[in-house]
Amino acid sequence: MSQPPLVEMIGIEKHFGGVRAVDHVSLDLFPGEVVGVLGHNGAGKSCLMRILAGAMIPNAGEIRVNGSPVSFADPNDAREAGIETIYQTLALADHLDAPSNLFLGRELKTRLGNLDDARMLAESRKVLARLNPNFKNLQDPVSSLSGGQRQVIAIARAIYFDTRVLIMDEPTAALGPSETAMVANLIRQLQSEGIGILLVSHDMHDVFDLCDRVVVMNKGRLVGAHRIDEVTKDDVLSLIVKGELPADWTARNLEAAQ
Amino acid sequence: MSDATKPADRRAATPLAALMPDAAKIHRLSAVLTLLLLVAGFSLASQAFFSVNNGLTILLQTSVIGLLGIGMTMVIITGGIDLSVGSVLALSGVGTAMAIKAGLPVAPAMALGVLIGAGCGAVNGLVVTRMKIPPFVATLGMMLMARGLALQLTGAAPISQLGEAFGRLGNGALFRMVEMQSNGFPKVIFPGIPYPAILLLLVAMGAAYMLRRRRIGRHIYATGSNEEAARLSGVRVDQTKLYAYVMSGALAGLAGNVLMSRLVTAQPSEGVMYELDAIAAAVIGGASLSGGVGTVSGTMIGAFIIGILRNGLNMAGVSAFIQQIVIGAVVIGAVWIDQMRNRR
Repeated sequence: MSQPPLVEMIGIEKHFGGVRAVDHVSLDLFPGEVVGVLGHNGAGKSCLMRILAGAMIPNAGEIRVNGSPVSFADPNDAREAGIETIYQTLALADHLDAPSNLFLGRELKTRLGNLDDARMLAESRKVLARLNPNFKNLQDPVSSLSGGQRQVIAIARAIYFDTRVLIMDEPTAALGPSETAMVANLIRQLQSEGIGILLVSHDMHDVFDLCDRVVVMNKGRLVGAHRIDEVTKDDVLSLIVKGELPADWTARNLEAAQ
Repeated sequence: MSDATKPADRRAATPLAALMPDAAKIHRLSAVLTLLLLVAGFSLASQAFFSVNNGLTILLQTSVIGLLGIGMTMVIITGGIDLSVGSVLALSGVGTAMAIKAGLPVAPAMALGVLIGAGCGAVNGLVVTRMKIPPFVATLGMMLMARGLALQLTGAAPISQLGEAFGRLGNGALFRMVEMQSNGFPKVIFPGIPYPAILLLLVAMGAAYMLRRRRIGRHIYATGSNEEAARLSGVRVDQTKLYAYVMSGALAGLAGNVLMSRLVTAQPSEGVMYELDAIAAAVIGGASLSGGVGTVSGTMIGAFIIGILRNGLNMAGVSAFIQQIVIGAVVIGAVWIDQMRNRR
């Protein structure tokens, strides 16, 4: 690949007291690539994603966007660099309606500096209709919406703006099968638009279905980074559970070629 | 989303969606109804209650609680609480009076008083956001410190003889009509709309505009609704909270000036327990102590419920001790309604 990676994380470290949550992890992501980030709960993958999203400040290490070093002091900085995140918790303000949540932190304003609620509603209607044509009750507080609708708002918020890198933290955990399929289609579509996606997931099926590469974390360390055709589900499970590949492992695609 | 999820979505969304705005509306409606019932009840109990003069008196009395309540509402929406407003009110009034005694003209002295209030609010905000101390404790500390400072500065003695100009804000009125009678005595045709009431209306409109139409207002609601979500969405949560506490402090300063001006005396012991009236006004008006919910108009209704309750009980000759019991019960009732609403 001749073009520079969209994002490089180099030697990232984060510790809490004596606990090394992220221990010297490096990771890169190219345009139009989906990279699965796997690991146990507490393996440090969420920490790593939060660092890239600007929600957590690393103790050491460097982040480069398009080859130039950046430092993210808060989520706004990461968003300005085109890095959007869909959090597992969705990060929605329950008492506000869909447009307010979609534009939270990036409100549209009229020339006088007032909130332009009419335009935010119209824009929300457009982007939400693309994801879910049945989404009509836009002006209800999001606490009264279904899990699927809430997820759609969180996704819409991440793709509405000029996104180049998308972090998806278990985007399908709260969804039914058909909604999961919708998210999978969306991922493929974004991928074809040249957006780089980091997909945090526990669902091995999704990962093998959608990802070009997988990286596996175990106890804060990066224990494996492979092209998806190099490994089987069992190999990845072994990485997740034991932190190492099976003893007799060779790259599966080479094996098949022999 | 495919067809399979449609019914599930609709079922989950419609009953709640139909309930949510209604619940807020019902709360507002019940508050207005309470207000009207109080007016009707007190009018029957006392002839003097339902008169223009008494109406204006209520306006005047309520304006202080109203100003405090508006600031309190902003803080409560962020999910915090400000227990210091009563003391800050006293400190600001004392500050203004001392500045006047030092030779400052009235207007800049009052501006100084408001600034002192804003300063106390800023300290509250910084203690809450930087030192990560719960708002209840932080503002409780400020409540003691501001009161102590006001008493220390004055030696616990009221500052009087502040001049007529100082009393104008609290005692003046717009459209006051006085007619000279043939016998040489003036006769008041219409006592006028008291300046404090006009000030309250202006502040309420400004605060409502800020909360509904400005970005900072949206961020105040978002912060109280889900602080972590707001932070992850790029809301500068700490700055938003600081803003709310500064506004609360500044409005307490303004209320202090109104109150001291009405008395034309700066009382360092004035305003004890006013914070509770302000909290009660906000909660009766529908603000939720768990954050994210509250309106200025609701708080105004709440302030008038308390104001009318106080005034009406006085007019009906109910003792001050019984009044406390009644207002305490009303506050518990209002919070109970809030709890019921949240449980739904």
